[in-house]
Amino acid sequence: MGTKKEIHDVVMVGAGPAALSAAIYTTREDIDTVLFEKGVIGGLAAVTDWVDNYPGFIKGVAGLELSDSLQKQAERFGADIRLGEVTKIEVDGKLKKLTTSEGDIYAKAVLIATGSDYRKLGIPGEETFYGKGVHYCATCDGAFYREKKLVVVGGGNSAVQESIFLTKFATHIDLLVRGDSMRASEILQHELAKHKDKITVHMNTVTNEIVGENGKVVKVLAKNVKTGKIISYKTDGVFVFIGLIPNTQFLKDSKIELDNIGMIKTKSNMETSMDGVFAAGDVRSGATMQIASATGEGATAALMIRKYMDPHASTGY
Amino acid sequence: MVKNITIFTTNTCAYCVMVKKYLGSKNMTYEEVNLDDQPERQAEAFKLSGALTVPVTLITRDDDTQDVVVGYNLSKLASAIA
Repeated sequence: MGTKKEIHDVVMVGAGPAALSAAIYTTREDIDTVLFEKGVIGGLAAVTDWVDNYPGFIKGVAGLELSDSLQKQAERFGADIRLGEVTKIEVDGKLKKLTTSEGDIYAKAVLIATGSDYRKLGIPGEETFYGKGVHYCATCDGAFYREKKLVVVGGGNSAVQESIFLTKFATHIDLLVRGDSMRASEILQHELAKHKDKITVHMNTVTNEIVGENGKVVKVLAKNVKTGKIISYKTDGVFVFIGLIPNTQFLKDSKIELDNIGMIKTKSNMETSMDGVFAAGDVRSGATMQIASATGEGATAALMIRKYMDPHASTGY
Repeated sequence: MVKNITIFTTNTCAYCVMVKKYLGSKNMTYEEVNLDDQPERQAEAFKLSGALTVPVTLITRDDDTQDVVVGYNLSKLASAIA
C-alpha cells in the first residue's frame, strides 16, 4: 500500500517578511498554509539590529522584535511554520511536489520567498578566518569585540547601520567604502556622522586581503584606488556588508526562470514560469530589497494565489 | 541519549533564538549561557567552538561524549540530539 501524500493548499518556501505576510493573508481566509524555513524565521530582518523605516513604528523597531511579531501574527491564524529545507520543486499532475529535508510535501500552489544571503568579498583570508575574525552578522557576533578595533567593509545601508550598532562594543571602526561616495541613505549617513569619534570612513578603498597570525585576524590590506597606495588597517575583526545574493541555488535545475543575477522572474501577478508557483520579496526579480516592500509583495502574492485557486475570487478590482 | 545541552547566546542573536526554537520543538531542555550577561564565559565558548560567534551548542550524552554545533545548522543539530 502506498504512503499517503501530505497535501496542502499552499506551501511557502521561506519564512521571512514576504512569506509571513503572505501567510497572514492566506490563513485568515482559511487557506491551509505550511511554511518551510531553513534559516532564521524573519530572514535578514531578524538579524538586523534596528529597523527605522518599516511603517507603523514611530521610533523604529528591533529587527528581531519585528520578525517575532510577524511570526506570531501568522501563527495566530493557523500558519504552520516548519524548520527544514526545500531542495526541489516540480509539477506532479495538478499539484506541485516539494522535496524537503523533512520528506516530500504536495501543494496546490507554492510561494517562493527565500530572500537573499550575504555577499562575500572573495578575497584571500576571508574563508580562512570566517567566524574567527570575519563576520557577516553584527547582531550575532558584535559582542565578541568589546574594547576591540574593527574594520567594516561596505558603503550601503547595512554597512552604515551595523557600524553604528558595533560602536556599542568596539573602541574604533574603520569603514572601508569602495566608491567615492556612499550608497547609504542620507538619513543614515547623517546618523553615521554623529559617531565620528568612533567611526572613520575611508572612501575609494578596496579591500584586498584579510591577514591573520596564530589563527586570529590582525589586519586588513586595502588599496586606495585613487592614489594606488596600499594601506594596512590593524584590526581584531572584520564585518562584511557588501550586498546580497538571492537564495535560488536550489532552483538551478528547475523549470523556474531566473534572471541574469539569479533572481526569480515573475509576471505582473507574481507568478513564475511554473504554473501555480509564485515568488515574492528579495528573491524576486525587480524587488526593491526593503522589508516594507517584501511584506507588501507577500500580501499581493497571497491574493494572487487565492485567485489562482479560486478564479472567481476578487483581488480588489 | 542526551544528558544535557548548553547554548551560548547573546541578546541580539537571531540564530540563537532559532536554536532554542528548534530544541524546544524537540522537547529538549537546555541551559542558556547569555554572553552579554556573563562575558567572562566568552573564552569558554571560544574554546569549545574555535570561533568568535554564537550560537554555540554543546550537547553531552549519557556516555559523556560531546558534540559542539557552531551556528544554526539544522542537520548538525538533528544529528547531535538523535
